[in-house]
Amino acid sequence: MIAAPRRLTRTLGNAAFLVFCWAATGVALIALAAILWSLLRQGIGGLDLKVFTESTPAPGSEGGLLNAILGSVMMCALAMAVAVVVGVLAGTWLSEYARTSRYGSVVRFLNDVLLSAPSILVGLFVYEIVVAPLKGFSGYAGAIALALLAVPVITRTTEDVLRLQPVALREASVALGAPVWRTILAVIWKAAQGGMLTGALLAFARISGETAPLLFTSLNNQFLNLNMAQPMANLPVVIFQFALSAYDDWRRLAWTGAMLIAVSVLAVTIIARLLAREPRRS
Amino acid sequence: MTLIAEAPETSILALPQDRVKIDIRGLNFFYGQKQALHDVTVGFARNAVTAMIGPSGCGKSTLLRTINRIYSLYPGQRAEGQVLIDGDNVLEPRVNLASLRARVGMVFQKPTPFPMSIFDNVAYGLRLYEHLPKSELQGRVEEALQRAALWGEVKDKLKESGFSLSGGQQQRLCVARAIAVRPEILLLDEPASALDPISTARLEETISELKDDYTIVIVTHNMGQAARLSDQTAFMYLGQMVEFGNTEQVFTNPVTTRARDYITGRFG
Repeated sequence: MIAAPRRLTRTLGNAAFLVFCWAATGVALIALAAILWSLLRQGIGGLDLKVFTESTPAPGSEGGLLNAILGSVMMCALAMAVAVVVGVLAGTWLSEYARTSRYGSVVRFLNDVLLSAPSILVGLFVYEIVVAPLKGFSGYAGAIALALLAVPVITRTTEDVLRLQPVALREASVALGAPVWRTILAVIWKAAQGGMLTGALLAFARISGETAPLLFTSLNNQFLNLNMAQPMANLPVVIFQFALSAYDDWRRLAWTGAMLIAVSVLAVTIIARLLAREPRRS
Repeated sequence: MTLIAEAPETSILALPQDRVKIDIRGLNFFYGQKQALHDVTVGFARNAVTAMIGPSGCGKSTLLRTINRIYSLYPGQRAEGQVLIDGDNVLEPRVNLASLRARVGMVFQKPTPFPMSIFDNVAYGLRLYEHLPKSELQGRVEEALQRAALWGEVKDKLKESGFSLSGGQQQRLCVARAIAVRPEILLLDEPASALDPISTARLEETISELKDDYTIVIVTHNMGQAARLSDQTAFMYLGQMVEFGNTEQVFTNPVTTRARDYITGRFG
């Protein structure tokens, strides 16, 4: 009779593996909860109407984060608008037109390199090609740097989710007489929209907290400025500057800003998920 | 000792020319360097069901995929020879693929509903070719679903996703989608292989009702299905057309040794 000991070892092995999985998940969740808790605890105290109505203060005077919030929103929005168009088209090209071509694999490799490039390098690069020649920091330069960070993320996820779509789905559309471009637009993108959205959200989450690329590009601005050709305030750089300062009110605003970033990434993710809720699948 | 006439290597029934809808002549097919079809010559009958049988990898699906040139999606694949539909060689480069595929519908092994509503699935092909007023579009969608024997089950939920249907219903939805554009030919590539017996029976009923108006070619691994559904049967082996004849004859009295061995279950 070997059945009984084997059953025992299997049960034990299964239990050990489960405990390990639970423990690993627990560690990740505890870290996440700790971060959110300290953000909320330290950030919520500074949250009042002035945060949204007044610009960043000089030391000792009262103020808020209006200029930084608006600057971040405008730069992120412009960066995402550019990055979604470029990334989705590049990912689609890689998956649907260049799957086996050599040029395609070169582009894929370079995209992966860009994906893991340190963001401070991207900031320096944009400084060299935009800020230095135009002799000035600007919101546009900041948006370009953020877009450069978001494009490889979106390209990669778009290619991956499109490749997951079954060949039969493409053939079924082509067999009805649809040209390939129409098949991609009407069937493949639609089938992959959930995954493509996830890619865009990942990219948004990444760029919304980036500080290094903005230090060299949009810099900062103490005053409210909606002209993207001028230096622009933004939450990450303000947090960086205020958190390292010696003034209590600045440090409080830094915590509040950090909390705002976390909460807005969370909110955008939830809203987008609700909007793109997929139809039932069998 | 009795003398037995040796069985022929191949036996291809030549139907009268006026009954032939799809006339395949000297067809060779290549996946890159690898040749998958060898000099196939056969004619499939108009408004009838032709079944293609044979072991996996014998070239049945490859032959089917030349008729609507779906293979041309893939750069390494090419066909040489002639595939004449009503006398026109569809392999010629100048052939308009969109209008060819409007004449030749196809249903695949696994159900492939598009990620959209049941109505939009059926209307997909119609919207490609014709700009119909809404009422007429609705009429054509209903007609196609009726003919695919699906209307009764879906008429109250046309706005629901195609994925909400069962596997068998999804496959009949794909049949409806293919016939909505009123093709002349319907290619079915193992359409029932992913379905349970009851769904298979319903799909077979649908197919036999369609044959009065369409030329149907079906690839199947199910011998019973081939025998039940088809008027003619084509047996392929190693990329060759080995035997083609009326289904009754092929199943009861196959001429070639290879067809006899396969049908009696000696291999395959």
